[in-house]
Amino acid sequence: MTSANGAVSKAERQRKRASRRAARRGSWVLLLLAAPGVIWFAVFCYLPLAGLVVAFKNFSVSQGIFGSPWDGLQNFKFFLASGEAPTIVLNTLFLNTLFLAGSLLTGLVLALMLNEIRLTLFKRVAQSIAFFPYFVSPIVISIILQVILAGVNGQGGALNNLLSVFDLPQVSWYTTPGPWPWILTVVKMWQLGGYTSVIFLAAITSISEELYEAGAIDGASRFRMARSITTPLLTPTLGILIVLGVGRIFFADFATIFAIVGDNGTLFPTTDVIDTYVFRALRTQGDFGTTAAIGLFQSVVGFIFVTVAVIVQRRFNKESSIL
Amino acid sequence: MSSYLTGRSNPETDDAEETGTEPKSSVAKRPVTIHRPVKHRVEAFTVISYIGVSFFAILCLIPFWMIFVGSFTAESKLAISGYSLWPSPFSLQAYQLLFSGTTLLDGYIATLFITIVGTALSLTTTASLSWVIARRMPGISRPLTIFAYLPMLFTGGLVPLYLLVTEVLGLENSWFSVILPIMMAPFLVFVAVAFFRQLPEEILESARLDGAGEARIFFRIVLPLSKPILAVLGLFYAVTYWNEWFTALLFISDPTKYPLQLILQNLIADVENAAQIPSGGAAMAVAPVYQLRLAMTVVTVAPVLLAYPFAQRFFVKGLTLGATKG
Repeated sequence: MTSANGAVSKAERQRKRASRRAARRGSWVLLLLAAPGVIWFAVFCYLPLAGLVVAFKNFSVSQGIFGSPWDGLQNFKFFLASGEAPTIVLNTLFLNTLFLAGSLLTGLVLALMLNEIRLTLFKRVAQSIAFFPYFVSPIVISIILQVILAGVNGQGGALNNLLSVFDLPQVSWYTTPGPWPWILTVVKMWQLGGYTSVIFLAAITSISEELYEAGAIDGASRFRMARSITTPLLTPTLGILIVLGVGRIFFADFATIFAIVGDNGTLFPTTDVIDTYVFRALRTQGDFGTTAAIGLFQSVVGFIFVTVAVIVQRRFNKESSIL
Repeated sequence: MSSYLTGRSNPETDDAEETGTEPKSSVAKRPVTIHRPVKHRVEAFTVISYIGVSFFAILCLIPFWMIFVGSFTAESKLAISGYSLWPSPFSLQAYQLLFSGTTLLDGYIATLFITIVGTALSLTTTASLSWVIARRMPGISRPLTIFAYLPMLFTGGLVPLYLLVTEVLGLENSWFSVILPIMMAPFLVFVAVAFFRQLPEEILESARLDGAGEARIFFRIVLPLSKPILAVLGLFYAVTYWNEWFTALLFISDPTKYPLQLILQNLIADVENAAQIPSGGAAMAVAPVYQLRLAMTVVTVAPVLLAYPFAQRFFVKGLTLGATKG
């Protein structure tokens, strides 16, 4: 490209030769730099894949991973025959769909609103506050939820206090499974709303100012511009986030759900997901084979979801592909 | 050659954008000054936006305020009227209890060890691996990218990880059992790669011509130029370690080695039972369980909350970089 005249191209060639020499000399340094990361990925991401053979074995700790006898598909059959499989699979899909829709909607609306705010200090402070719940641990979220829903010794929760103001009947939230999918969705909206809005705001800043000028000349209100200019131009970002979410739809947010629900069996019908089921089966029954089988099942189905999602997204929008 | 070209053209366009912000913002300001005389009315959507954003921000703050207030409210009051927005019978009982035992100190030591050592390890491995990926070495960088990307798609799950840490590595009851399983986040690797690829190739090229080796280039030029992204990575990792409790729950059974989050989790673990048997609260009159729980939450969240105002702009920056480049 810069080789318009001979002198430049000669210098360029010299430079390139020098850099190639340096590259050869330095490649072992680079390999050394990459080594710790590579080893970590090998041990903590790839080695466990080999451990998945446990799913096909009648595992016992004394005989070890490779010494235990083969068991065929018994572990898978046991899981599918237990009758819990449909519930936890449906719960996982349903809850993750709600979480994804809830957090994306909150983030989008919040970003559109933040975009309207011209007072820089107000905007920065509000954005920082809205982002903060993302950094709160699931345990703390669980405590917050107890303050709001359970109160002390089952009475005096903030929400029940609010209900009594309006003469509405009190609800024993932690023994009523029905509303929990929605409660957890609100938690996710609260937790991820600010985080998602930052991603949308980053996309908004790349929208050309000329479009808004044109809109203003045509007499569009700010709301009209948010609806007809900003939102359509955020579709690619929204698409990527949806694809990422769909790709993870078979993996539940274990930490949050387990921290909130824990061993409260009353809530299992609506909140028990694959990950919490696996953890409980491992901890209470010590059944390595079945839990590994469920984990493998989850990984394979999850992988199919990811692959389909990525293919769809690539067809949908080639430029902003995530791979 | 083509990768070399794109590697060069990237920073150029980005530079153009960066230096172009000043004229662009003045362009952006112009229509405002033009339209201000035309449109004097305050738009409904703008008003709604201010209200909506304030509402969400308040929703984000209130729970923390309630916990903070509750931790200073006497248990007897909490038991009668629940949580309020002001500590009416002010009580330090929970904090006195917390600070009198060694549990809190042990918890802080564990969490600080996990956070500091973990962040240092994470930062070193992530930065060096990302740099090698970002260098676009033929035959090395591409396979490494796939190598680091695949774990985002396919994981072994809980059981193999559990067996790996307990049976193979024998790390039970070691703080490294909390650190190692979450030491690298593929997402952050790609954030770092995206940043490294924006570094001006000219500087690296001239260093190379001056005879600097790869090691010198990485440690003396790349790392000092990358302080902003290192801050981003470090903060993301630090928060992750600070909040981590699941690996601790799995692998740490010695109560003196519990990190803060696990202590907190143990404090709330019995609330489901408390909710199911409301009359079973008699034993709780002895110790201010609920107040203690809130005080413990305060001391767990406080360091994050105090560091947050200084750190939050890095989070936004990192997320923006990851979102636009990822």
